[in-house]
Amino acid sequence: MKLTLTPSEAWQPLPVDEWDEAAALHLLRRTGWSAQTPEVDRALADGLDVTLQRLFPATPPAMRTPPSIVALEEDTPEFAAKIRAAAPAERRELYQQARERSRNALLDLTAQWLQHASRPEFAAVEKWTLFLGNVYVVAARKVQNSALLYRHQDMLRRNCTGTAPDLTKAVLRSPAMINYLDLQQNRNGAPNENFARELMELFTLGIGHYTENDIKDAARAFTGYVQRFGDYRFEPRLHDHSPKTIFGHTGNFDGDNVIDLIYAQKAAGTHLPALLTRFYLTDETLPDGHLDALGDWWRATGFDLRQLAQRYFSSRLFFAPQFRGGYIKSPVQFFLGLVQDFSLDVPPLPRRFEPAFRQMGQVLYDPPNVRGWVGGREWISSTTIEARRVLARAFFQPFDETRLNADEQRTVAAARAAGEKAFTVTDNTLQPYAALNPDDAAARLLRQLLSLPASEAYRRAIGAALASDGKPARPLARVRDAVVTVLETPEYQLC
Amino acid sequence: MKNHPNFLPSSRREFLTMSAKGIGLLAFTHYAPSFLVSSARAEVPAPRKDMPILVIVQLAGGNDGLNTVVPFEDDRYYRLRPSLAVSKDKVLRLDDHLGLNPACAGLHRLAQEGKLAIIQNVGYPNPNRSHFRSTDIWETASESNEFVSTGFVGRYFDNCCGGAPAGNDPLGVHLTGEVPEIFLGDREHETFGVLPYGNLNRRNENLGLLEKLVQQPVAGENESASYLRHTMMDTLVTERKVADLLSRYQPAAEYPRNAFAAELRNVAALIAGGLSTRVYFVSLGSFDTHVNQQGRHEQLLTTLGDGLSAFQKDLEAHQLAGQVLAMTFSEFGRRPMENDGKGTDHGTAAPLFVMGAKVKGGLHGTAPDLSVDRNQDLTYSVDFRQVYATVIDRWLAGDSAAVLGRKFEPLGFI
Repeated sequence: MKLTLTPSEAWQPLPVDEWDEAAALHLLRRTGWSAQTPEVDRALADGLDVTLQRLFPATPPAMRTPPSIVALEEDTPEFAAKIRAAAPAERRELYQQARERSRNALLDLTAQWLQHASRPEFAAVEKWTLFLGNVYVVAARKVQNSALLYRHQDMLRRNCTGTAPDLTKAVLRSPAMINYLDLQQNRNGAPNENFARELMELFTLGIGHYTENDIKDAARAFTGYVQRFGDYRFEPRLHDHSPKTIFGHTGNFDGDNVIDLIYAQKAAGTHLPALLTRFYLTDETLPDGHLDALGDWWRATGFDLRQLAQRYFSSRLFFAPQFRGGYIKSPVQFFLGLVQDFSLDVPPLPRRFEPAFRQMGQVLYDPPNVRGWVGGREWISSTTIEARRVLARAFFQPFDETRLNADEQRTVAAARAAGEKAFTVTDNTLQPYAALNPDDAAARLLRQLLSLPASEAYRRAIGAALASDGKPARPLARVRDAVVTVLETPEYQLC
Repeated sequence: MKNHPNFLPSSRREFLTMSAKGIGLLAFTHYAPSFLVSSARAEVPAPRKDMPILVIVQLAGGNDGLNTVVPFEDDRYYRLRPSLAVSKDKVLRLDDHLGLNPACAGLHRLAQEGKLAIIQNVGYPNPNRSHFRSTDIWETASESNEFVSTGFVGRYFDNCCGGAPAGNDPLGVHLTGEVPEIFLGDREHETFGVLPYGNLNRRNENLGLLEKLVQQPVAGENESASYLRHTMMDTLVTERKVADLLSRYQPAAEYPRNAFAAELRNVAALIAGGLSTRVYFVSLGSFDTHVNQQGRHEQLLTTLGDGLSAFQKDLEAHQLAGQVLAMTFSEFGRRPMENDGKGTDHGTAAPLFVMGAKVKGGLHGTAPDLSVDRNQDLTYSVDFRQVYATVIDRWLAGDSAAVLGRKFEPLGFI
């Protein structure tokens, strides 16, 4: 990668005179999903520092626990007792029911999270939480209890502005993680290396910064961390209390000790910033010198995550011209960006959009493996492009409520009563464009939706499509067609 | 370069005629899109239809080789796996010492018909037990301490199929959501993704405007943007063709009703439909059985065997079997000693399967040496790149030394 900024220049704050509309748009689109005029205006008025304090607050705003998750948690011990007491044939039936309930709760959770995250006041924290969830991965395909998945994400959210070592220690105690990486089975005399390996390789240090022996002994230190019905506890009789040697240090280490040893390694300073770069900034790798400079500073803060976010997103490197507008949106960003761009509410009907997420390659709460989603160009194939196109068009189809089942109708009614009702793009939203002349409408539309100015040819093509001699005959229909088409072009996939 | 309409490869012409608004040639008169320039620079002959086809079957997660090809006469096997070992009376015998897991009935039949080669103890020096690293190594065919960003199939495409294939069909088709690393080459090649239950078949009245917009370079286009745009353009052409082939296909075998079998059925449909695609990629998993292995492993092996069986039968009925070779791979095998969770941890070498009418069926190579200590892993005897070299040289008529970086000793299964 070619950078004109030196390692010490890269992380200096953006000069005040460079904090302009373009910079604000870049910041909001990258730290969140998109950028609407009120947010941009506010950011410009407040200045960069105050904006970042607000986007990454000391206490992250909470998400309301979805009712289906609450119900699942309340019922789990009872259900388990029922399964134990049942005859074998009945048991299979009960397991089926439990899986079904958990699956429904997951769909509900997905819809609730999307609605919560779509709000501009929550977007930055939720995207940051999603980022951390892509580091400390757990997945529904193995952790089949959706309540555990919700609690894991909530733990990440609550700890996302604290320190990385504290967060990692909380991850060790997350029942979802205890399940996902086999800590439950990891016991004295019969170690299971899964957690120790992924912790070092993927979560904290990266390949090459530990040995197989470090992993073997760390695995012994991580024995005894178990969970029951979603409650974590440390079980001393399962723990290996004997000495371990990790990174050259010997002692009767427990899990927390190992985590402290990990964060004493040099690689701990740069590993998360490298992952941050891939998630938020670019597919390319930053040069070692630049990462080291940031890593050394971050270590000195005690690995403070809030400070990391604020420093990173206020840096000259983050705002460098080469990083503006060329980043491929993830499926979640594509979806939520669309929701924000048209001031929509996420319909409380997860079954309607869950297939789209699956085909776009990002099923929330279910990354394909412990590495998480790689992102960037890997989001793009003929299949996933088709899925984005279909999704974009679906937001413009009117809602046919007669095709909803009774439960779904009730859910929609409840959402409407709570003030959430803009589920699709209506003529009202599009009317302002139909009232303008084609060239002005095209310019305004493209400025609203795209992250970089459209090319002259692109603008002209949209203008021509909006013109009164174009097809179809109704102006609003022409606007609708043009807008949908813009959403399908490469330009809209970039931020 | 002249933008004369007749200069365009036929599929670009198709691309233009797709436009309901008859945008046609107008879009091309003002500039030359880069993809047209590169596909005109064909230095090597383009592949034709009816050239040999390779189907790569990924067993994701690390398949437990020892419980797949079972050394049922070896005491050490039973000592290493007191609860997981497959019992002698249940194996499907291949010879006096080795047999297949009872869940491999489909594979066993193929072996008996001489259509399945079982290459034993395949791995590589200095094995890596990380899923991602080891999958990288298998897909890129690198040394275990090298980091290579191209896949061996991508490099095969670079070396052996430089020109655009006939009809501009994709060179590689993957039946997975993501493009596999195995397809990535130094040059851009057309690949296409098909979901197990087929692409959505949607008409789009705005296709004409979309085509026009997609042809414009994005303002300040960087590599990501360019990649996006080219992918979309190629997608629009191929999309129409593939949907058509899948919907018209009549399979001549009964495929089991699961996603993996559906993937294979779609591969058969595209081969029978005459696409000039050379390599297909399908995936089955996860084989990462750290805990409670038996049930899950048996289920996966059944899916694998029954799916491949149906696929082979279907190809034979369509007189295509002589043209197709299928090969499995997995990032590693699993540890000989079982763990305390009735499962196995990441290991090293394992057997792999090669299926086809033209294969020399039966066991190849030697069984792994089981004189290992607790927590010790197997030592490979066949380097997986030997398998690749054999397939590249003798099946795909390519140049394995160019693709793999050096010569590897070929094996006798083709």
